[in-house]
Amino acid sequence: MRFLDPHIHVTSRTTDDLQNMAAAGIRAIVEPAFWVGQPRTSVGSFVDYFSSLIGWERFRAAQFGIAHFCAIGLNSKEANNEGLAREVLEIVPRFALKEGVVAIGEIGFDEINEAEERAYSEQVEFARKNDMVVMVHSPHRDKKRGIIRSLEIARDMEFPMAKLVIDHNNEETVESVLDAGAWAAFTIYPHTKMGSERMVEIVKRYGPDRVIVDSSADWGISDPLSVPKTAKLMLERGIDAEAVEKTTWQNALDAYSQSGQIDVEALNEKPAINQTQLFADNSVLRGQDPRVESAVPN
Amino acid sequence: MSPFLCLRQLLESRLDRAAIKWFKEASAEIGDQVSGARFCALLSRASRAVKRRPLELTPKDRAQVAKVIDGWNPEYWNLLEAVRAALVLSRPDLALEGGGLAIEEAFKYGDEGELCALYRSIIILPDPERFVWRVGEGCRSNMRTLFEAAALDTPYPARFFDELTWNQLVMKGIFIGAPMWRLWGLDGRQSPELARMALDLAEERRSAGRAVQHELWLCLGQHAGERGLEALRLELDPTNSNTLGRRGAAYGLARAGARAELEDYLSRESDESVQAALEDALEGNTQSSVFEHLTA
Repeated sequence: MRFLDPHIHVTSRTTDDLQNMAAAGIRAIVEPAFWVGQPRTSVGSFVDYFSSLIGWERFRAAQFGIAHFCAIGLNSKEANNEGLAREVLEIVPRFALKEGVVAIGEIGFDEINEAEERAYSEQVEFARKNDMVVMVHSPHRDKKRGIIRSLEIARDMEFPMAKLVIDHNNEETVESVLDAGAWAAFTIYPHTKMGSERMVEIVKRYGPDRVIVDSSADWGISDPLSVPKTAKLMLERGIDAEAVEKTTWQNALDAYSQSGQIDVEALNEKPAINQTQLFADNSVLRGQDPRVESAVPN
Repeated sequence: MSPFLCLRQLLESRLDRAAIKWFKEASAEIGDQVSGARFCALLSRASRAVKRRPLELTPKDRAQVAKVIDGWNPEYWNLLEAVRAALVLSRPDLALEGGGLAIEEAFKYGDEGELCALYRSIIILPDPERFVWRVGEGCRSNMRTLFEAAALDTPYPARFFDELTWNQLVMKGIFIGAPMWRLWGLDGRQSPELARMALDLAEERRSAGRAVQHELWLCLGQHAGERGLEALRLELDPTNSNTLGRRGAAYGLARAGARAELEDYLSRESDESVQAALEDALEGNTQSSVFEHLTA
């Protein structure tokens, strides 16, 4: 099978991960801009971070036959550094309309306060004006209220629900999101968030429409193979293959290709790794022979 | 013909009506003075109007292009890069400080496609030596597309790089396997120091049990010296299974002026492709462009 992991922070992952992801059938990923763990203190750090999402990380993923797309935005946690947040919001438009940027994201709420709401609203408004998709991060604490607030604000701004992806859902939040008409993404993440087993039950109960599975793998204990592993479990537990494909490939593709930035035809072709033709680079290959034209195992 | 007119002609015969309309409006807007942010936004937005596909020059185009700037060659550009370069050239203030600052701003916020277009544009800007540090940055990039956009198909490095930057560029290109026969001026800018660096790299590769890049033999020229001749003989040795390297070394030996040795090798050579290279080299075809046809 082939997979699209529509939320993974490969900036924080190694080349071993990229190799394993390709071997497991992950063909494409979306890397949203996020909080990198260490708070940033100047807008220049964001300029370089956004540049790496549209440059270096895309190049790195391409070395392994993985198509890399990204989302650009100011995350909720750093929206609380208001002086810096103002400067970052000024440069977001400079990156949001680059090639391969499929959404504004991940944006949303952490503590659910006014500063976060201002940053969120401003970015949703930018997305609305520029006909973009929005990827919403939902908070760890008071998740349900955070999600409902994100949906309300978007609705009040007449932002189209078909372009809104609410992430990190669980059993308690899924109905509000699906009822609103937005996409409901689920992060399969050990210890916090969802496990594969719970995900199976959700697909059984709510069906596969507008449901998206992702890994959100980052610098914490997380699993970049969450999407293929969950797909395997879904199949084992009797969910039909079509529903599995929808939740681990097609729905995310449908949501994010609304950006016009995904060449769906090219993505549907059988991928071939060609490490000499892309942006071949000695610092990633480090002396290995380039893998030319070996198909990505599925 | 000015570079701008040349690019505009290339674009007019290749863009569809909607893309031409977008380009003309954007070019006019830039020509009318725009903010730095707006200039960058238009360079970005070009990707929504024009897709990346090869420029595909005709023989007539090539004749036109050759008259613009000696060594400037958009043969390997894509259409989107040509559009972006023409947008850059639409600025009315390129010769002034403001124009230079706007170009630097575009570099700061550019994505990979935009950066390639900007690097490719520098040689056709007024007063291009202003950007010598910037082009050096491109040549330090680990993204091969950026390296090639900054270094190849342009006379920029040969004309403006100092010796150290030039030598580093050549060695980096060899190291990453970029097609260095497209480095304009390589034949004219050889030196004992470049030959030494190349020979050190060849020895390092051999110590590690790796094949020597065949284009490395472009870096010795007449400065091969006894050490270089020894390295070339080692590469040309019939026991070397790297035929591509042997063919490259055949040209290397010719570039070093060792004609008698070449004839000697030819009389004993059994591999057809190496024979062909030796014969070609003996006929005097030793310029770096012959490496275009050297492929495994």
